[in-house]
Amino acid sequence: MGQTAAIEATGIVRTFGRVRALDGLDLSVATGEILGLVGPNGAGKTTFIRVVAGLLRPVEGHMTVLGQPPGRRVAADIGYMTQSPALYEDLPVLDNLVFFGRLFGLAIADARARAAELMDLVALSEKRHVPVRDLSGGMRQLTNLACAMVHRPRLLLLDEPTVGVDPVLRRILWAYFGELNAAGSTILITTHVMDEAARCQRVAMIGSGRTLAVGTPQELCLRTGTVMLEDAYLAFSAAIAAPMQPEVSG
Amino acid sequence: MRPARVESISGRILRQFRHDPRSLALIAIVPLMVMALVGYLLSEGKERLPVAVVDLDAGADTPGGHVAIGSEVVKALQGQNQIEVRIVRSAAEARNRVGSGDVAGAVVLTSGLSQDVIAGQPSDIRVVVGGTDPGLEGPVMRAVGGALASLRASGTLPVGGERAALSLQVERVPIRGANGLSTLDYYAPVMIAVFAFLFTFMLTSVAFLRERSTGTLERLMASPATRIEVILGYLLGFIGFAMVQAVVILGYAVWVLDVRVAGSIWLVLLIIAVLVIGVVSLGITLSFYARNELQVVQFIPLIFVPQVFLGGLIWPVQTLWPGLRWLSQLLPLTHAAVALRGVMVGGMSIGDIAGRLLALLAFSVAMVILGVQVLRNQRA
Repeated sequence: MGQTAAIEATGIVRTFGRVRALDGLDLSVATGEILGLVGPNGAGKTTFIRVVAGLLRPVEGHMTVLGQPPGRRVAADIGYMTQSPALYEDLPVLDNLVFFGRLFGLAIADARARAAELMDLVALSEKRHVPVRDLSGGMRQLTNLACAMVHRPRLLLLDEPTVGVDPVLRRILWAYFGELNAAGSTILITTHVMDEAARCQRVAMIGSGRTLAVGTPQELCLRTGTVMLEDAYLAFSAAIAAPMQPEVSG
Repeated sequence: MRPARVESISGRILRQFRHDPRSLALIAIVPLMVMALVGYLLSEGKERLPVAVVDLDAGADTPGGHVAIGSEVVKALQGQNQIEVRIVRSAAEARNRVGSGDVAGAVVLTSGLSQDVIAGQPSDIRVVVGGTDPGLEGPVMRAVGGALASLRASGTLPVGGERAALSLQVERVPIRGANGLSTLDYYAPVMIAVFAFLFTFMLTSVAFLRERSTGTLERLMASPATRIEVILGYLLGFIGFAMVQAVVILGYAVWVLDVRVAGSIWLVLLIIAVLVIGVVSLGITLSFYARNELQVVQFIPLIFVPQVFLGGLIWPVQTLWPGLRWLSQLLPLTHAAVALRGVMVGGMSIGDIAGRLLALLAFSVAMVILGVQVLRNQRA
């Protein structure tokens, strides 16, 4: 089972009008790994995640998610954490969790038990009856994460989960990601913060909708002769851009 | 106070509108549409209302020859441009046609009309109007009054002191034995339909807009839930809500305002439920064309006002131009109001309002299909 890729994408193209948000992106995410999808704003990270989640159809290319084409059939095995908290603000934390649990097929008792378990995990048990609108930004983000995990997905898609999160909470979140991964979940996480990417087992660097390089953080630094992932990214994007530059003869 | 700050705020508001062309368009279109409708509906000379006329007047012989006031009145009525005269043979037939809604009203000229008028005896012209639609009474009465005035002006009818000798007697045809129908009885069913429509539409469109803007719709779409499951979930939720509202309004109307419900209360609730299915789906569909709550609010007059004006809620559908009459049949409130009136006022059964119920159902099914289609585009 370990051999099958959780996500297998080849030549994915997705356009919005004239903009090619994904321009032939290739990526393979192995089952059981944490892969960081890094790139600047507009690189195509969110578009790619939305294609994996079945929310956008690629215009070209081929993709399988957990061995199937993306869409409703695999949706129950995917947890999708949106960039900004997508929650029902009027409902308490508990109700949000139970709702999403049931939406993903849990029986009501199971959904309640799972909600209690997750609220313990993210230390929100005391806030179970507090409407989401009365929570702090960090607590909302934790609730958002809990909602994505409520149905015990095999694949977690986390879209910039730590944006606007303070350093303490960021550390807590990464600890959760590690625990989830240790429990067998595959995680695809997007970020434009390079020191976060360094925590991933593998990193896929993308730019202008294309894959620039994929490897462990150490490999990527080694290949570019850099120490920091940020410098490695710049080196890879410069190398891709270079052939397009007019040649200057010396 | 610094005028520059005030100016910067007002300037920003104007600039925001410039970047919101839809709001700008709606600001112009909505009032123009409402004004055009009101202008048309309040102006005279719309469609002629059919009025049945029975001339039973035997005439009278005078030294100057045979006089037939009845036929003079008929001619004068034919000269009135608000109505279209339809001659019928008996008063009973006239009443029947008013009762069935076939004509807006009837004028009965009694056999002794000419003799009474010549002899200076008090006499009356009976005007029959239907209890189903008080809105038709005014135009019919105005037309009859206008005809008599023209006869007096031409000297055919006596004027001055003898004027009172000829009076108009109004007879209201009760429908299905419902006597003493009040205006409230007549308008209460309409109010129920209006509230069910308005509140359901507002709540659904705003709720779905929020679903979209907060990203929870994205979550729904990324879940195993199918589009039809999402729509059905919404439908059930809002039908429950609308039913509670309907029961509250109905309860108040019946127990506090003493409004009659001649037919089955379950049938009333069924009509509201079918209407609400369509309105929830309409709200979902239209919310996709709004970027914010402001734009949703602007949809309300666009969707709602034509239905109130053209749906026979205030002005009878019969008085509209044929084109608008046809349009009114496409509006769900028209059918809901007629069906609710039929059940609550006329005590009609499900068989009697089957046509209206089917029309509402057709609207609702069409809206659900449209809603599912719009959701499909969400997952593209």
